[in-house]
Amino acid sequence: MNKKTDVLIIGAGLSGLMAAAKAAESGKKVTVAAKGMGSLSLSSGCIDLWGYDIDDPQQVCPNPLAQIARLGEVNREHPYTKVADVLEESLRCFQGITARYGCDYRDNGGANWLLPTAVGTFRPSFLAPPSMAVKDLDKAKRIVIAGYEELKDFYPEVMAANLARNGNLPESVNIAVVKLRCAWKKLYATTLAHRLEQAEGIKEAVDQIKPHVVSGTVVLFPPVLGERLDIDVAARLSAALGAPVYEVANIPPALPGQRLQQLLLKHLRNMGVDVIIGCTFTGAKTEGNRCLQVTAEGAGKTFTFAAQTYVLATGAFVGGGLDSRIGAVREMIFDLPVCTLEKWASGEFLSMNGHGFNRFGIAVNDRLQPLDEAGQVCLENVRITGANLAGANGPIEKCGNGVALASGYKAGKLAGEVPS
Amino acid sequence: MSQDRHLILDNCIKCNICVANCPVVKVTDQYAGPKQNGPDLERFRLDEPAAVHPSISYCSNCKTCDFVCPSGVNVATMNCKAKGEYVALNGAPLRDQVLGRVEWICKAAQIAPSIVNWAAGVGPFRAMGEAFFGVAADMPFPRFASKTFLQQFQPKKIANPKGKVLYYPGCYVNYYTPEVGLALAKVLAHNGIEMVVDDFNCCGLPTVSNGLMDAAKAYGVSNLEKLNRYIQDGYAVVTTCPSCNLMLRQEYHELFDMDTTLVTENTYDAFEYLVLLHEKGQLDTQLKALPRRYGYHQPCHLRAVGYGVPSQEILQLIPDLQVLPLDAGCCGLSGSYGFKKEKYPISREIGQNIVRAVEDTGVKQAVTECGMCQLQVNHVTGLPVVHPIELLAEAYGL
Repeated sequence: MNKKTDVLIIGAGLSGLMAAAKAAESGKKVTVAAKGMGSLSLSSGCIDLWGYDIDDPQQVCPNPLAQIARLGEVNREHPYTKVADVLEESLRCFQGITARYGCDYRDNGGANWLLPTAVGTFRPSFLAPPSMAVKDLDKAKRIVIAGYEELKDFYPEVMAANLARNGNLPESVNIAVVKLRCAWKKLYATTLAHRLEQAEGIKEAVDQIKPHVVSGTVVLFPPVLGERLDIDVAARLSAALGAPVYEVANIPPALPGQRLQQLLLKHLRNMGVDVIIGCTFTGAKTEGNRCLQVTAEGAGKTFTFAAQTYVLATGAFVGGGLDSRIGAVREMIFDLPVCTLEKWASGEFLSMNGHGFNRFGIAVNDRLQPLDEAGQVCLENVRITGANLAGANGPIEKCGNGVALASGYKAGKLAGEVPS
Repeated sequence: MSQDRHLILDNCIKCNICVANCPVVKVTDQYAGPKQNGPDLERFRLDEPAAVHPSISYCSNCKTCDFVCPSGVNVATMNCKAKGEYVALNGAPLRDQVLGRVEWICKAAQIAPSIVNWAAGVGPFRAMGEAFFGVAADMPFPRFASKTFLQQFQPKKIANPKGKVLYYPGCYVNYYTPEVGLALAKVLAHNGIEMVVDDFNCCGLPTVSNGLMDAAKAYGVSNLEKLNRYIQDGYAVVTTCPSCNLMLRQEYHELFDMDTTLVTENTYDAFEYLVLLHEKGQLDTQLKALPRRYGYHQPCHLRAVGYGVPSQEILQLIPDLQVLPLDAGCCGLSGSYGFKKEKYPISREIGQNIVRAVEDTGVKQAVTECGMCQLQVNHVTGLPVVHPIELLAEAYGL
């Protein structure tokens, strides 16, 4: 079977979905096809742009956009330098989409948010969904951390102890832990989210938290406040408790990332984008420096996709876009040259310099077209986005979703400009 | 232990994406989840097959875990095998043994379909069925047709056919909705394709879902042998049921390590076959307008084969027909799963996504390929549901 489309986006992570959203605005026929569901559903749900100061990595970066603007001087190979022209535009577009579906991602007036995590640390992030955008935690009189006995992977006592240590909170703040009990025997984040969408789940939580709420209380929850976009669990809890309720970032399966994924997929559906999950891409047919078609497999059978523009949004090692053997790294579909470094990994697991392999990826020009070692465009109708791009060190720079968002947006915009 | 099982297991990076997307985990605390029952316990099962968690029976075999996994781990297959191991060790309740053997039920019911239909709808009988056998009283049974598809089908001789098709109707079409098979026969004949049928066993998927692996394997052996003969004679195998399709082209191989090369390559969903025909310019596109709106529900087992929705591509050719994707995920029934007393509430709760999607889109009728999904969509929403091939036949004026 040969599927034809104008824009084929391979990969369903943030950059792929963003590319699809932007390309669909141009009226092109857009298809998103991916092997799995995309790691967006496993992410924090926040959009990190740039976490720490370039000159002083111990300091949280006060103004991410200004720092990114400086990358052109200090790190020309960073993917942000290829998308600097659309960065702010892409953020506005993203905020516009999320607002349309009732989950308006908020910025902190140009500064990073410092959002509490499940282990009581603070993570710098640029955009946060309303349920996570904790404002003025240090002005709270009392912080109630609510955890469930039956929920694995969230320990409110740990969070409370570390919050007291890390939070720069005034001594007068009272941090209380409430261990809730649930009528269900055991809970995953998703199970709890479903329960909290029901009236009895809310009541169960409110009854147990209410006695701990005094004036000036902020309630922090694990990221389990509902799965559905049409029910605002945080707002319901907040109204019933008479105190603001926020969810904190935690390990997967956390719900904010899932809600964002669901929101973007819903938007794509409304834009008429075709989304196919579960097909594995195995190769491409090229002629000169153009891709003619890519091949995919589903249930053991091979089929092909032909498009005007292909967007490679398959991610790096975790997403399966890149594969490594000893001494070699391969891009799995187009066999594009991958930039590597002499030193793949640091000897120290948690090194603040980061690991080399995180910077591996495909070199591109300003139009996100892949380049060979000589700097020539390998495939002119292929655009590279997100974690497939070389030069970023996401875990250290805290820029993964920012690069994904801006590069996806740019790839979608460029694909939309291709004459039919 | 085989090296293969090790390799695929080691691909699991514990990212939890299967748990995050599992429709069953979300609505119940009875199921330990696809990761724990799948790759986590598989490690122990490599040495000790008895290391199966009893909650495995709560897996509905929707295969969501398989297709969301970015690392290519076949979580659902591990779960199916584990369920088989559990049943082999502990036995299956009589109810599961009966529900799994759909073919037996259907054959038995053929003695007097109308009496069976009547009895299946009588409240007190259903209450007794629930009390004594654990079959949910509130889940309506599908209605047996008075004559099976195989009894009704008349092969049509086509001069110089453009293709030869062996139709595998599956139990659902043969016994419950023969009109689907008859619509396919008309559509194929109209497009100059010769269609033949034969008497096959149940594909075996319901037996697999109930952990009755030996029975499933026996069905597989018998079906494959017959299918291979037809394929060697130049026939393409066509199905209208996504579950049969998945079973024939993937599961016999994955679960039982059978050689399905020929069948995998030559088995098509009916609309996949029609798309191929369309690509060759051989599909008649003179279709009359059907000015209606339908909500489309994608069956899990169609999604699991990973080629999108071929019926959408063909239905788009019908003027004025609007088919809106409901995109609500699993309908919750999962074959015999939703008929089990203890699973019915789970099944119904999962199905609420469909209810909401129907409210959102405001559709008054629905379309989906899978017979059991049709039953559930109708059960939870009350909407009439058809198979897409019936719409195509209608648009051809057949």
